Amino acid sequence: MSEPTRNVLLLTFARRGEERAIQRAISALAEVAPGAQVIAVGTPVSAPILRDLGIAVILVYGDGKPARQVIEEAQLFMPQTVAIVYDNPRFCAHLKLEALALLIGVRAVLRCPPPPQPASAETQVPKPETIGRLRLAWSVLAKGLLLALRLAAATVFSTLACSYLCWFGRPRGGRHARRP
Amino acid sequence: MRATLIIINHNGRHLLETSLPAAVAAARAAGDHAVMVSDDASTDDSLAFVSREFPEVRFLAFPRGGFGGTCNRAVAAADTEVAVLLNNDVVVTPDFLPPLLADLEDERVFAVGCKFLNPDGSLTHALGNRISGEWRRGLLSLHHETDPDLLTDTCPQLYANGGGMAFRRQHWAALNGFDDLYLPIYWEDADLGYRAWGRGWRVLYEPRSVVYHDQGSTMGRLHRAPEVELISARNAVLFSWKNLLDRGLLRHALAQQARWVADDVLIGGLPNRLAALRAAAARLRFAARRRAQERRERVISDLAILARSRGEIA
Repeated sequence: MSEPTRNVLLLTFARRGEERAIQRAISALAEVAPGAQVIAVGTPVSAPILRDLGIAVILVYGDGKPARQVIEEAQLFMPQTVAIVYDNPRFCAHLKLEALALLIGVRAVLRCPPPPQPASAETQVPKPETIGRLRLAWSVLAKGLLLALRLAAATVFSTLACSYLCWFGRPRGGRHARRP
Repeated sequence: MRATLIIINHNGRHLLETSLPAAVAAARAAGDHAVMVSDDASTDDSLAFVSREFPEVRFLAFPRGGFGGTCNRAVAAADTEVAVLLNNDVVVTPDFLPPLLADLEDERVFAVGCKFLNPDGSLTHALGNRISGEWRRGLLSLHHETDPDLLTDTCPQLYANGGGMAFRRQHWAALNGFDDLYLPIYWEDADLGYRAWGRGWRVLYEPRSVVYHDQGSTMGRLHRAPEVELISARNAVLFSWKNLLDRGLLRHALAQQARWVADDVLIGGLPNRLAALRAAAARLRFAARRRAQERRERVISDLAILARSRGEIA
């Protein structure tokens, strides 16, 4: 009886210039789970880039497909490990991908930082960091709070801007204007 | 109509070596047209190069004024009916000028933009061709056409790229040129085109006026520094605050901008959207003043501007 195919999941926004980081993430996944099939979640824009990087199975979201359907599709592959490609070495932002990994229910997450810039004097190549589900949940919670704070700050800015612009542009005079 | 070809320069002596001879040749080929180099506080030997190699070219040296400020000063210094703004990394073709002047014969036309090609003649990632826009997530999302089949006819566009555009100086003066709200750079040309449409004038795209633009020399907008991304995003916000005169659309846009900031945490990447919003708020007073002025001059609604610039309505 043949062994069932093991799957690992790659989560990335596949932005322009992130090709090297994605390749490093694929290599890191191959080290953690040798012989496993790499599955990626992408958008209609990022899917061709991921395909060019040799990923055969891509679950495409966007174009009106609900996130829940993507999560269910990913769960069918039962990935044990997921790699998230970040664009910063401190693993900031990317809440969308972290929440996705949490909802899919993977056991371990490889957080892959970007490779150093070629012009950089830094020679130390940052290594992927493995975290468990609990730490991932903590990260999602902390970033969720940060998101709420940012939304509150942005709402304050926008409300003030709207009020000021409408007040400044109000018609002068009108019914109660004093006439000479 | 006589024209002045104005090349905007900042420490670009090496770029002038290629772009200036082409501009001088095109001006001669089309008749009695002038060429001017408007210099934004260069510290290289641009002045010496132009004086030595092209004594017939006017060289105007200005103190640091950013892209828009330098353009405004240069256009004010010109004495022809038409001015043609060119980046110092834009190389014109010998016959690029006559089609632009022919389009400007129509008094309803404010400006005409050139056809921008990469130095190898391709259109990949080329910016400035048949530009259209739509309001998305509270900001004006710009589309630069790169399909060669759609770039064969003269047609309306939202604005002419400031790196290669011809316009009537009289209309430019009525619009007060590029707005210094956007200093040092980015979005001033989009703002100018939007305001021109708002006054009932037209902006055209002219595919017969071919210029070559080496975007690699201007960072290509592909890999920009965080500071540059921040300025561009701040100016995109300011553009909406200043130009979106429909109150309902403005409220909707501002709500969308708050949600746009959520992307800082959700997806990351550049720019820092909250910082851009904060930087725009620092210029809110000036945006409100320009907005009030714009309200007095506008004769066309926001939605009609975009529809007209896409050629959907006459």
